Amino acid sequence: MSLRVGVDIGGTFTDIVAIDSDGLVRTVKTPSTPQDYSIGIERGLTELFTAPDEAQQVDELLHATTIGSNTILEHKTALTALITTRGFRDVLEIRDLRMPRLYDINWTKPPPLVPRHLRLEVTEKTRPDGSISIQLDQASVDEAIRQIIAAQVQSVAICLLHSYANPDHERRIATALRAAMPEMAISVSHEILPEIKEYPRTSTTVVNAAIQPVVRHYLRSLQTRLDGMGIAAPVRLMQSNGGLASSRHAADFPAQIVESGPAAGVVGAAVLATRLGEDSMITFDMGGTTAKAGLVEHGEVMRAEAMEVGGGVMAGARLLVGGGYILKLPAIDLAEVGAGGGSICRIDPAGAPKVGPQSAGADPGPACYGRGGTAPTITDCNLVLGYLDPAGLAGGTLPLNLAAATAAVQTHLAHPMGLSVQQAALGMLRIAAHTMMRAIRAVSVERGRDVRACSMMAFGGNGPLFAAAIAAELGISRVIIPPMPGLFSAFGLLLADTEHHLSRSFRARTDHAATDALQSVLHSLLTEGDQRLAADGFPPDRRQTRLTAMARYVGQSSEIAVPLHLTQAAGILADLPCAFGIEHARTYGFSAPEGDPVEITSLALIARGVPEQARLPDSMPPGQGQAPNQRQVWFDGPGWIQTPVLPRAALTDTARPGPLIIQEYDATCLVPPGCTAARDAFGNIVLQLT
Amino acid sequence: MHDHSAPQPAPPDPITAELFRNAVVALADEMALTIYRAAYSGVLKNIMDFSTAICDADGRLVAQGLSLPGHLASIPQALQACLRHFGDDIAEGDVLIMNDPYEGGMHLPDIFVMRPAFTAGSARPIAWATTVCHHTDVGGRVPGSNASDSTEIFAEGFRIPPLKLHDAGIPNATLLRLLQRNVRLPERVMGDLRAQLAACEIAIRGITDLVSRHGVPEMQALLCETMDHSERLTRHCLSELADGTATFTDWIDDDQIDAGVPIKLVCTVTKSGTSMVFDWTGSSPQVKGAINNTWSYTAGASYCAAKCVLSINMANNDGVFRAIEVIAPPGTITNALPPAACAARGLTGFRAADCAFGALAQLYPHLVFAASDGGNTGLTIGGTDSDRKPFIYVDFMSGAWGGRPTRDGLDGNTNMFANMASFSIEVIEAENPLEVLDYEMVPDTGGPGQFRGGVSLRRTWRMLEAEGILQVRADRATHRPYGLQGGGPGAPSRNVMNPGQPSEQQLAAKLTMTLRSGQIFRHELPGAGGWGDPLTRDLAAVASDLLSGKITHQAAHRDYGVVSHSTPPVIDAPATIALRQHLKTQRGPAPSPAWHPLHESSQDHTS
Repeated sequence: MSLRVGVDIGGTFTDIVAIDSDGLVRTVKTPSTPQDYSIGIERGLTELFTAPDEAQQVDELLHATTIGSNTILEHKTALTALITTRGFRDVLEIRDLRMPRLYDINWTKPPPLVPRHLRLEVTEKTRPDGSISIQLDQASVDEAIRQIIAAQVQSVAICLLHSYANPDHERRIATALRAAMPEMAISVSHEILPEIKEYPRTSTTVVNAAIQPVVRHYLRSLQTRLDGMGIAAPVRLMQSNGGLASSRHAADFPAQIVESGPAAGVVGAAVLATRLGEDSMITFDMGGTTAKAGLVEHGEVMRAEAMEVGGGVMAGARLLVGGGYILKLPAIDLAEVGAGGGSICRIDPAGAPKVGPQSAGADPGPACYGRGGTAPTITDCNLVLGYLDPAGLAGGTLPLNLAAATAAVQTHLAHPMGLSVQQAALGMLRIAAHTMMRAIRAVSVERGRDVRACSMMAFGGNGPLFAAAIAAELGISRVIIPPMPGLFSAFGLLLADTEHHLSRSFRARTDHAATDALQSVLHSLLTEGDQRLAADGFPPDRRQTRLTAMARYVGQSSEIAVPLHLTQAAGILADLPCAFGIEHARTYGFSAPEGDPVEITSLALIARGVPEQARLPDSMPPGQGQAPNQRQVWFDGPGWIQTPVLPRAALTDTARPGPLIIQEYDATCLVPPGCTAARDAFGNIVLQLT
Repeated sequence: MHDHSAPQPAPPDPITAELFRNAVVALADEMALTIYRAAYSGVLKNIMDFSTAICDADGRLVAQGLSLPGHLASIPQALQACLRHFGDDIAEGDVLIMNDPYEGGMHLPDIFVMRPAFTAGSARPIAWATTVCHHTDVGGRVPGSNASDSTEIFAEGFRIPPLKLHDAGIPNATLLRLLQRNVRLPERVMGDLRAQLAACEIAIRGITDLVSRHGVPEMQALLCETMDHSERLTRHCLSELADGTATFTDWIDDDQIDAGVPIKLVCTVTKSGTSMVFDWTGSSPQVKGAINNTWSYTAGASYCAAKCVLSINMANNDGVFRAIEVIAPPGTITNALPPAACAARGLTGFRAADCAFGALAQLYPHLVFAASDGGNTGLTIGGTDSDRKPFIYVDFMSGAWGGRPTRDGLDGNTNMFANMASFSIEVIEAENPLEVLDYEMVPDTGGPGQFRGGVSLRRTWRMLEAEGILQVRADRATHRPYGLQGGGPGAPSRNVMNPGQPSEQQLAAKLTMTLRSGQIFRHELPGAGGWGDPLTRDLAAVASDLLSGKITHQAAHRDYGVVSHSTPPVIDAPATIALRQHLKTQRGPAPSPAWHPLHESSQDHTS
């Protein structure tokens, strides 16, 4: 027997899902251990194994971790130095000037990850065409190294102007640094992001450097624990872009695993969508504090070319950026809003009801937790309407106080608005749902996609509670609740592929481009992708590549990604204007008159290693769950209805009409009247809205 | 104008009203995103110099997208001017266009595109989708159509009174041909107009969806409630503030035409009960140069400053405006009459915001920051390269916030009045015959204070082609950003030719000149003002500034009374206590606000 194990570390819980060679699935949910996350993993794995020799049977350990983003959020980054071109050390601190909030004189920029006195300048200058304007001055390099040694720096970023065009000076500095300090963690910009624009390249390189010692240390201590348990399987990490990477790659390029956890769920949804034959699908992941939406089309997740880390929730308005540290690396495109079970509901001074963004968190938590919280939250609203079990969450291990929830809703919401407790609670849930719809619209409607043609996959602890209501508002007719919705990110890990995401700056008009230059850039991209997959052990027949061009109309100031189906430069240049026009019309609803010139700004490659066997089992067992019963549940219109409460296992492939509540250990799915629920062959709950 | 024959629907319940409010705000944001993503003009993208909004049938603002604070008052002005012109002559499929500052516009590059939303069977629109974008070029005597040294609007470009861009769905070919023939970059202007039309299309779809959800009379009631709610919230926030009146004067160095003659802005803020008035009476008469404001831009500066002192950041709409009155006397620089030039009025907007903040600071010292950098510096270098191909490089620099009542001013951040992004050095060098020699912070330029003002940024260019025309619109070279509550002013802006060389030469803040091959030009933005007595600044903060190099040992001694030496810095605490004691007795009471014009002459113009 062999065992594949997915481990997803969140702030509160460590989720583990394992599938054995017989297709049997086991799960463990255990508290995370922030002082050393590997302790929680060892504990969880020990709980998972049913026989002493099972550790040796693990043949793959797939891992999503928040260690990268937490290191930044908690200001635990390493003491880092930056070596840069003389005259430009403040690029990192000036950023792109822009602020994420207007009219707030107290807004404060996130502090630069390298303090100004450790941003060290060397005398040199490369031109945009790669030729040298000022030769690298060795004395200035020696002086920088002297200061790095004197300050006992733990990690060094090197980012020089125009290094994407000629990395020679960066390489020479890295070599000198390695010679002086062989153990030093070094991040070099042309290896991390060989693209024009100094600020995003510097920021990305610096984030990589600042978290590298922490991530390395973590991966090392994890490996030590796994060795101690007798687990010899390789560890692979989920990257923000949705592909898996070796532990060694993650240690060198930790900036790529910063949004590891949220990515895993979307990847799982994409694989499942393909299996189910769903062409376009919205993913909806709602937890305790935030909700995230993504888009899967033709089995591919939608990606963004940059993200911000450490800036808090992206408030639905993607115009206002600058709250965090920019990482210009491909990442799964997730729109996030600050609405979760813990979001606080209140009435503003002018009488308008508001949900969040303040959250009651885990402590004191919602009023119904009985830990001293008095403000009503979304979870309290769900409880007073009967959507959550008054007996408690997680199979009754977390008891809920209905009276406290009712009092909070009555005092703070229903009374001021002159509504009943139920009307007020339902109203707050509708407002929360609308906030979350903005995240969904951001990844669909705002990109020219017709959301009504999509299905929705809902997961996370609170996703299945809200899914039907949100789908109804958006005109989505089919909602899929996958097995283990509360542990779906860990499950998604088991379905992901190894991927390398590479990019190159290449700026040229399609009607003037030098075919040879383009061919050489393509060749370099494809060769590097091939080499990386070979290094991961994938034979040629299990390597896939996917090329895209970032393109725009000449004169336009932002680009859109256009998939390329050819690898020959001449063909690409001939086809691109037309393909771009179609993509532009689809995204923005219009295109320029035919003949308007189009230019390429960069090229990107995804090199994917395809596994030998399909990673998705044929079906997932529904789990046990409690015996069916019923309770009073309040719905808009009819009011209180005696509603059946079922485990997932009680559903069949015959659609059963709502109202129903499907109660599982890790999540509760609400099936309102006018909606049906069935369980498909795989084990998903499928809601059909009429 | 309202149709009072229809039965009034019941007032909307609070839940429905909130859902509607969120939906209509989201719609304005979706419009903004469409323009942001599809735009051609770098001005749209980098400076976010555009706005989108939903208005009601009377042209009142219901929701405005999150982009440029300066545009807060512009859209209702523009739409109402169009409604006055067209009256009932508005049909489904119409699209209105306009850029005339003297009939609802701001300056010629800002082109408004507006489209009505109709419901079935109604002759009158239920709402309007509105957009305004700063276009790259609208003709006139200089590329970019934003010269500060034009003296009448006829030199500034193609002027469009309220017209129909589409008439019942049919594009106005005559107007489009005229427009294309009169601008330097017609493809870019047409591209940005398409983005505006696309944003309107999205809004019309959204409005139609809202009407079908709620019904026509209910929708009208919800539009009203959205504005009423903002008014209640604004008045609630205003009621939390103390009543009072305060006047503040700030200065623009000059208008480049009458070089060296300072231009006065005077703002009197009166807060009484649940309303606030910004009165600009006493400001300078309109000037010859192209820096004259329309009423709407002065109002935008007033609203921006007011919103910063309100405790709740509410939706931007007519409800806010009802509680905040703006008086800008016609014929002054705050509300110019034709044919005054106004293309470069951005500067006056920034200074009006500084002045409004200064007045509010007198009333609410703990809610307002000291003067920021005074707004962006606009710089253009244009010419032809060796292949006779034209190049034009347009840049805007911005960078420092004034010291704040609880913390230092930001170093390297966009001005509050414009959420702009900086240009990439690598892209500047890749696209223009220019080498950038530095882009960095300048030590000892932040106004000293208990909370230091942000430091200045500088950028230095070397010309690589034979020659080009350099135009710079900077300010605050003689009238420095003020400090508050005992904080000192920020450093003045500087333009320098060939810095560090024997031929080094100081230049005027506003200039138009030829830049020749090998010549080096440097611009330093002003530093921002400090807040509070610098002699009370925390020693750890001084040490941190010394370590980072944002201040020198000399400045620590002179401005902060701190005795320090070495790198990394060491502070001599006993000597510092003695020095601070000495300085306190030596200097009189600190002026509030600190005001140190380099040219004393400007004081003469106060009276």
